Amino acid sequence: MTPATRRMDVEQAARDLRNRTLSDIPRSLDRLIYLASMRDYNTGLYYHDGLASRFTQEIACEALANCHREAFAQLLGCSLRELVGQIEGYIESTHTSPRDFVAAWKKLEPYRVAVPVETDPVTAQLLFSSFKIALAILEARLPSAPTRPNA
Amino acid sequence: MISLIFFLCIGALLFFCLFFLARRNPQTEGSSTALVDARQALNTLQTGLLPVGLVQRVFAKEDWDYVRSETPRSIHELFMDERKGIAVLWLRQVAEQIGNLRRFHRGAARHYAKLNPRVELQLAVSFAALTGACRALQVLVYLGGPYVAPHMVGAVANAAARACRMSEESIAFLNAARMGVLAVQRSHLAAR
Repeated sequence: MTPATRRMDVEQAARDLRNRTLSDIPRSLDRLIYLASMRDYNTGLYYHDGLASRFTQEIACEALANCHREAFAQLLGCSLRELVGQIEGYIESTHTSPRDFVAAWKKLEPYRVAVPVETDPVTAQLLFSSFKIALAILEARLPSAPTRPNA
Repeated sequence: MISLIFFLCIGALLFFCLFFLARRNPQTEGSSTALVDARQALNTLQTGLLPVGLVQRVFAKEDWDYVRSETPRSIHELFMDERKGIAVLWLRQVAEQIGNLRRFHRGAARHYAKLNPRVELQLAVSFAALTGACRALQVLVYLGGPYVAPHMVGAVANAAARACRMSEESIAFLNAARMGVLAVQRSHLAAR
């Protein structure tokens, strides 16, 4: 396979992924988390059975990596207000209590494993920092916890 | 006896000279490693640090306006600390990569006849000015926050991008194929 043919296949696979799957995921935060979950943390390779069956495993992996970078760039381009909105929307979609969600994300920082492999450290730090601020904003907005009556 | 001590001292001196020469960093000026490092510095600057979108996000005033108008005071402090940290990190990284490029050009100017002395001189001036500006901005941002000198940040980013283009054109004769060979050589050396 020539590099040009390979590039065209990767582009076609990425288009396929965008049209069939990613178009149903409106927020870039959700797309980032979805695409990061397609990655094997032991090897850094992406797996998607449907895409691999239509193309090849290698092409599917590259297409997923490209879409992952794209989602990351889109999320990075969001203002802080937009990021807060995206996290709020994501919390709603997970049906988790906002308080539990914010507490878990502040503690576990799961967004740290959602960045593409070759991300520049400053860019990654900027996103981590924005998440930290956004979570603090969401925490501040939570209604104060009800006080337990003394037994 | 005195002459024996004298020659022993000379021998010891030569031995130490050889020892320190042998221990010296193998990355010599004009070596393949230096070329690959220069390319990597260019790549980091052009695709990682200097894209307009990233610079705008790091120094985005709209984020501060949002935080100031819609969040409690405790968030203001957190935001300022975080953004100041990121801004300083960005400036430090830009200065570091510019330093890598400067070191390469300083060494390469003596090794490659194809390099234009006038361009190299312009680059030397640009690199020195950029390094100074980055250091000054680091102090300003550290003292006054990330929004203290927005025009200077823009000017530094633009000047760095210009210097990168000049540097890229200057070392364009090291084409991709050659760089590929050098990168392979380097990985073999690293594997040893």
